[in-house]
Amino acid sequence: MASSTVVELSRWQFAITAIFHMTFPALTVGLSVLLAVVYTAYVRTGNPLYLQIFRFWKKIFAVGFGLGVVAGTVMTFEFGLNWGTYAHAVGPVIGVTIGMEVITAFFLEAGFIGLMLYGDGRIRPRTMALASWMVAFGTLLSTTWILSANSWMQDPVGYRKTDGQFHATDWADILLNPAFAHRFPHMLLAVLISAAWFVGGISAWYLVKNRVHAQPMARRCLSIALGVLGVLMPIQLYVGDGTAVFMGQHQLPKLEAFEGNWKSDNNGYNLLVVPDTDKGENLLHVEVPYLGSVIAQDLSGKTTTPGLLQTPPDERPNMWTTFYGFRAMYFTALLMFGTAFAGVVLRLRRRLFDSPRFLKWMVWMTPAGIIAVTGGWIVAETGRQPWVVYGQLRTADAVSHLSAPEVATTLAGFVLLYVTLLAVWARYIVRTVKAGPEALPTGPASPDVSEALVA
Amino acid sequence: MLEYAAYALVLFSIGMYVVLDGYDLGVGMLSLAAGPERRREYGEIVATAWDANESWIILAGVVLWAGLPGAYSVVLPAVYLPLIGMLIAVILRGLGLEMHSAAGGYRRGWALLFGGASLAAAVCQGLVLGAVLSGPRQRGGIFTGGAFDWLTPYSALCALGLVVVYLLAGAAWLQDKTEGWSRPRARRAGRSLLAATAVVAVVLGLLLPGADPQETHLDEPVRAVLFWLAVAVAVAAGAVAWSGFGRAPDWRPFAAVATLITSGLLGLAVLTVPVVVPPGLTVHQVASPHSSQLFLVLGVGLSMPFVLAYNVYAWRSFRGKYTDPVEQALPPLRAVPRAVPAAPADSGTARTVLRRVLLVVLGILATALSQDVFGGVSEWIGPLGVAVLAAAALAAWIAGDRRDLRDGCFDVDAGAESTS
Repeated sequence: MASSTVVELSRWQFAITAIFHMTFPALTVGLSVLLAVVYTAYVRTGNPLYLQIFRFWKKIFAVGFGLGVVAGTVMTFEFGLNWGTYAHAVGPVIGVTIGMEVITAFFLEAGFIGLMLYGDGRIRPRTMALASWMVAFGTLLSTTWILSANSWMQDPVGYRKTDGQFHATDWADILLNPAFAHRFPHMLLAVLISAAWFVGGISAWYLVKNRVHAQPMARRCLSIALGVLGVLMPIQLYVGDGTAVFMGQHQLPKLEAFEGNWKSDNNGYNLLVVPDTDKGENLLHVEVPYLGSVIAQDLSGKTTTPGLLQTPPDERPNMWTTFYGFRAMYFTALLMFGTAFAGVVLRLRRRLFDSPRFLKWMVWMTPAGIIAVTGGWIVAETGRQPWVVYGQLRTADAVSHLSAPEVATTLAGFVLLYVTLLAVWARYIVRTVKAGPEALPTGPASPDVSEALVA
Repeated sequence: MLEYAAYALVLFSIGMYVVLDGYDLGVGMLSLAAGPERRREYGEIVATAWDANESWIILAGVVLWAGLPGAYSVVLPAVYLPLIGMLIAVILRGLGLEMHSAAGGYRRGWALLFGGASLAAAVCQGLVLGAVLSGPRQRGGIFTGGAFDWLTPYSALCALGLVVVYLLAGAAWLQDKTEGWSRPRARRAGRSLLAATAVVAVVLGLLLPGADPQETHLDEPVRAVLFWLAVAVAVAAGAVAWSGFGRAPDWRPFAAVATLITSGLLGLAVLTVPVVVPPGLTVHQVASPHSSQLFLVLGVGLSMPFVLAYNVYAWRSFRGKYTDPVEQALPPLRAVPRAVPAAPADSGTARTVLRRVLLVVLGILATALSQDVFGGVSEWIGPLGVAVLAAAALAAWIAGDRRDLRDGCFDVDAGAESTS
């Protein structure tokens, strides 16, 4: 059997490639919706502002989408490269789901993205709008399939095991599995929210810097972003809470680990823990008393949170990654909620575009969504360990017959490549943002603009 | 029978990939030999389609996984290093291309990356092909070989062969897409690549029985007829390409090259079927169970017409010679003086503090409500409260947006324009 080094290295490789991949869809799914909306607004109203917005965000979207695609390609093959046994076992289930993702969603995006990105000035505006919507629809559909596949691994149903291979018995159960019902809306909202922070943060930067040419665009985008956030943040907290409760029922060790308790006698809420995994205790923990019970819907403060000692040692996830992944997501979510709340208040007080402190804070919130999404996936994936298919297939048994130096080489290659790519990507964003949108010529708008476009 | 449908889907996807992304990679490699201006044009030609073309290898990968998981889990670990090399090369190709097209400076560097990564990807794909044809070591459907098993003289030769084929496809595509190649040059380049392809194909074919551990059964009549038919079609297509290079109509060489590649692939499939992974792993042994085959074949099969339809549609939108896009300048936006709302009158420290404290309490209550903390009191509080919060935010958004529109927030500020 494969050595534990190969398992560890393969896990690191998968984790790094997955996190890297995830940062792009976290932006591009929401951006594709924004682009489709503003282009449609442009076609309908003829207002050049919407075309300016489209052309500006298109530049950032194009490179992000391309990087997301190539990073996703890597993952498609990694299932077989590093996890051959897993691939053989779940191919009849997960392989089919991901196959459907590729044929229905991925091809849709890829088929229309060329039109959307390079069609401006070559094809009719209505066709451009259609292509933009198709890309947006494709990214949303892609999210749906992927969440279905991953949720099945979190809570497998609808299968029969034959010779170590999962055979599908009920496709409706598999695709619409119980975990999917919670995790799909949670993820869908998460990607829309992440893109909204990104757009809002960059727009706020233009307002802070008082870039005259970018002001109308920045105000328009900030208004859209904070509008979306005001509506979605309360819903997301509610859906997220539901997902955590569901995990508590179906994957108790994950909840035990992300709440950071060993013994099951704590009615407080841990803000910070330093766990000692071997001894099964926390060397240090900072908690808010009674809050754990309140979050568990017991306002009297008596309910305690289950601890990890309930779970046999060989079925425990790592508390470090699970706890801090959850805290990264949750604390960022609270900041996001507060900021969105402040945005609604400021809008009501007519101060949205003229509150320097709030706008500066918005700039800091630019990556908030991506941080939360990453944290959330770390909880979902490391909290499921030591299983790759929960309760059915252990990660250690899923790996390919490879040698440690082989995996170490490719891991180093990916780290080097991805660090470079992140640097190039960040630099590209900074440059594009600093260059600003295309200048809008000023002057009285000719009254026939909209008619010309309709014709 | 269904497993043959899955096998056919894999072959179809690989064929589409080799034909479509083959020309992308070929154009990329040819761009290394072109001048700066041509290089930019080559990059733009590939940029409109590479996303869609690259999708086919992803489809090939996942259909192989879903339909023939036994083959997927043996082949991929066996070609671990060259396949990851290919993935990295494909990433760098995409990066070079997108940055080349989108970034301001450093055109030369990005263009070279695009070309070099295209070459590396083609070489790695050839190595993978050679390794699969030579038969990975496996026992009971699990790969048991070493890290460098894929590196053989035959696989190196396959890499060379694939590079030549892709160059041929690239040259044919360029004749279709650009005005740049003078006809004599196109004919010279195309014909010499065609001759090289023929030589490599013959050499690889003759060496195959030595490299492939499985017996080829050309003595079976049906198999032999189909195989030689495929060879005949390939030769005929080669002849058409030979005469078509450097002569109108410009689409003919690429059509001929695509036919040549397709018949070559079919010939190889005829030779090996039903073996998927030589020696001896057949379609039946590696296929996934019936329920998965059915779902896969129905799902992918029913989607395929739509996929092909909009791919053709996208391709038609850019058909003909490449032209630089004419991006129209933005029309002017209304300029109105924007009245900056006056800062609210100072209402006294005590009232400000009181207001802020109240807002913070309200915010905390809203957070608690959204997390369904009061769900223990009564179940409907959570969903109803969240609906009220979201609706209130939506109302504030719509009302605020309309007011801002009236105030000229989304127009050019005529006042700021004149003062700056």
